[in-house]
Parts: sequence; structure tokens; C-alpha cells
Amino acid sequence: MAEQSEYKWRRDKDGLGVWEHRGKVAVAGYGHSPIDRRWDGVSMDKTLGAYCILACQKAMDDAGVTKDQIDGVICCDSHIAGPSGGSASKWAPRPYFAPPYDSEWGLTLVNAEWLVKTMGLKNVKFAPTKVPTIGEMVGMASQAVGDGVCSTCLVIYPCGNLEGRYRRGGENADDYAKGARQWVAPWGNHGGNDFINTFPHNQYCQKYGFHHDDLAPFVINQHKNGMLTPWGFNATHGVEPITVEDYKSSRYILNPLRIWDCDRPVQASTAYLFTTADRAKDMRQKPVYVLNHSQHNFKQPSTQADLNVMEMWTDRAAKRMYEGAGMGPKDVDIFNPYDGYAVMTQFYLEAFQWHGVKRGEAMAFYAGDISVKGPHPFSSGGGNLGNGRTRSAMYTDSIEQLRGTAGKRQVTVRAETALAAFTTPPNGGWIMLGKHPS
Amino acid sequence: MAKLISFDIDGTLETGDPPGYITMARVREALELGYIIGSCSDRTVSQQQRMWMEHAIPVAFTVLKHQLDRVRAEFSAEVYYHIGDTNMDRHYAERNGFAYLFPDTSIDHLWMP
Repeated sequence: MAEQSEYKWRRDKDGLGVWEHRGKVAVAGYGHSPIDRRWDGVSMDKTLGAYCILACQKAMDDAGVTKDQIDGVICCDSHIAGPSGGSASKWAPRPYFAPPYDSEWGLTLVNAEWLVKTMGLKNVKFAPTKVPTIGEMVGMASQAVGDGVCSTCLVIYPCGNLEGRYRRGGENADDYAKGARQWVAPWGNHGGNDFINTFPHNQYCQKYGFHHDDLAPFVINQHKNGMLTPWGFNATHGVEPITVEDYKSSRYILNPLRIWDCDRPVQASTAYLFTTADRAKDMRQKPVYVLNHSQHNFKQPSTQADLNVMEMWTDRAAKRMYEGAGMGPKDVDIFNPYDGYAVMTQFYLEAFQWHGVKRGEAMAFYAGDISVKGPHPFSSGGGNLGNGRTRSAMYTDSIEQLRGTAGKRQVTVRAETALAAFTTPPNGGWIMLGKHPS
Repeated sequence: MAKLISFDIDGTLETGDPPGYITMARVREALELGYIIGSCSDRTVSQQQRMWMEHAIPVAFTVLKHQLDRVRAEFSAEVYYHIGDTNMDRHYAERNGFAYLFPDTSIDHLWMP
């Protein structure tokens, strides 16, 4: 199989102009597995691999296509718990099972090769290895379909979680911190987006005159939206919505980052089916068109980005996306940015100026009516905070809103375009979806 | 003077996520043995209270994990135990003068007469 690096699919430069395949690619189906907190190590119908297969089948059923029509499979083969996943990310040294679970593949890792073989997808001609996370995979699929590399492509995002302490192994379990890690590791597992975003978030609050706990309405609203998402972890596990008091009294993970500012690792998989706009017209669902995709991998100017850098990065990402889509802030109806840590979301909201929100205005915006039935239904999918760390709620909600099938989450404002992402300020990707191809 | 046990929930009690070593029957036994018992968890206080109500166990306290000091201040006890499965449990227990215990067979002695 070709490595993704061989295929130049990214739109990660400034000034690329309108995407050449705008409106010619569509999302025709999606599927979610059940969401468990962890795999129990026993139920073979609940392995990460089994959940990926189930999600694929649901996506194909949703679109009304059969396995023989699939000619592209894009699956992120990195473990969501990362190299520091420790016992939560690796099944070994415990004994493996009968095939196809006779290695880590299917248990803690899933890739296109394993899926093609296990599902018996015989007509796949595009199944790249070493593909990135979902924020970029949807762009990769869009470009591949637009370029004709494949025509009916499954995009699968596995999110595994075993028993054990998530991201508390590897170098995070070491007694020593070397290099740049010496500045962050002594405070715990903060090589991720918690520390990276908390520092500029503190600067944000100081600069614009807010307090961290002004995030409470946003976080609480994410939980509310999650309870309106039938497939999400919170809704399927009876996670009770939190109150302002619950939020403000909760434990700090990394002061001022509170426990409710962090998403919940889960065991789940999501699949999407991308195809050409022409093919999508004959499929089961009304097509949702891709109007642009863009990526970014900005160079770190130092070991820790400050607020100015965060705002510069997100401004550039917004400019790229709007330019490629041929749209502006007023054209975006549904806005589902990433929220894995609540402290980063305001950077996106303000960069994209959704509903006119400019720099320093996000907290005041959160304090208004951001409910799904209100005039500013921000992050209507509930994101990761409301659904667990699937990193896919942003995409599924956008699709459902444009289809008009979001149920209790269906917004009452116009829903003809949607902007979604899994991205951090420096790295990731955005996708613009449309109810209409132009 | 009574002894006090603070129970973490997730990873510690059988009702936790993940389920832990300590059954609700064991918690009731602790109550019958005269321990002052309650929970100390990252779950919201209302969730903790609901859990105890569902199991009809009258606990003396329900606090957030970082508020173990409140238990120490409110209750006079001969000895204070906190049972939990993470290093955060150990951190807050030791910081507030509780003996930290991991929820496995090593705690069985607490239930011996």
C-alpha cells in the first residue's frame, strides 16, 4: 500500500485559492459504533476492530452502498492514547486471541490493511498507510475522491481505550524529563494540548479581562448538546449534565484547567463515506457536499506558544479555509470546532469570527444563548466534551444538521453550510460542508 | 472514638467506572462495624449522593476529591482512611492526613473484628 506521503493531497499553504473540487465531492454516509468507556478485554464483539467494522457497515448502509463498491479505505493507524498510553494503549504482554485478533491489530490499533482483509473489501485500490488523524483524514478523502484516486472511500477513526491509566506510560512515567519536556513534564502529562493551550488561555483571560470560569456556560452547553446526541457516550451512559456550581467546584487538572474542561477517553469508532457528488446523488441519503478542506502544521516559534502566536495561527487557518471555500464568516451556519480541552475553543471561534465574534469576545458570547434552539447554536454537536473522545461529533453533527436529521439538536437557524474540525491551533485540518454544491 | 473510611468511587467501588474491588455489601459491613463512611470522588456531589441513595446506604459525607480536608475538619476520628485507585487519591489522602489504601486484598483487615 502506498504511504500517504507519496500522494500530495494536502491544502496546507496560504493563498491556494478556491478548491478545485469544490462541490464535486460529497459525504454520503456515516456510522458510529457503540461507545464504551473501555474495552473489557473479554467481549470480542466490542474490540476496537469490531467497532471499526461495525461503523463501516453502518456508514455503507447509511449511504446504501455495498462492500464491492468500496475502492478507498483511509484509517488512522496511530493509537489515540499515543506513545505514552502505557497499559491503556497496548494489549501485550497479555496473550493475543484467535485471528484476526492475533496481534495488536484489531485490539489497540486498526489500519486500512487490517480492515480490507478482515472485511473482505476486494475492490480497494487506495488504502494508504501512516495516515493522519480525523481532522486531516477527511481532507485526504475529499482530495482523493476529487482527484479520482478513488471514488467511494471509507474514512475510519478508531478511538481505543483499555483499562489502565491513559497516557500515563512511556516517557510520562519516567522520573526524568529531558529537553523541552523539562518545562512541562514535572506538572504531569502535559505534553498534550492541556498545557499548550492553558498558558495562552491564561494570557487571554488577562488580556481581555475574563476569568477562566467564564468557560462554564460553554462546557455546560457541550454537555447539554451531548445529551441530545443519541449515539454519544454521555447520552448512552446516563452521564448527568453538570451545573455551574459543579463546574466551579471541580478539581483542577492543571490550574486553571478543570476536570470538566477535559474530554473523556472512550472505546469507539466512527466511519464516513466519501464519494463523488455525481455518485452521491444516486445513493440513499441526500448528499452533503464538501466545499473545501484545508490543513495546517505551523512551525513552533518556541517550546511554548503564547497568545499572540495562537491568534496568528488560527487567523491563518481561518483565512485558508474561507479562501478555499470562497466564503466568509457570514456564510457559515453551523460551527463545530474542536473542544478536547475547553480552553482552546475560543481561539477558533474568534479566528473564524462565527456570528461576528471577534478577538476577546468569546466569553461574552458564551454567556449568551448558545443553545441549539437559540440564535447562536454554537458547537451544536456537543463535541468531545459532550460525547466522549471520539473526535467525530463535530463532523456527524454537521452532516446531520445539513441533512435536517439532527433530531433534538436540529438548529432553528439556517443550516446550509457547516464548518467542522479536529485540530489544535498549530496542527490539524478543517472541512467546510454544504447542503448545496455551490 | 470511631474510625473513618473515605471511599473513592470509580475504580474503587463495584459501582464505579471501571468497577472496583469493594462491593456495596462490604461498605454496609463497614457501617455496621462502626466506621464513619462516605465518598470522595471526582463525580459531582449530587451524583455521589444519588448513588448512595440508590443503594440505601446512609453515608456521613460526600465530597469532591480535592476536598478531603473538609472531611478531616468536620469529623473527629481515631484514624482516617482514604481508599482509592489512583495517584490522585494518594496525593489528596497524604496531603490531608489520611492513611492511603489501594482497593485490593490489602485492605481486607479493615473489616476484621
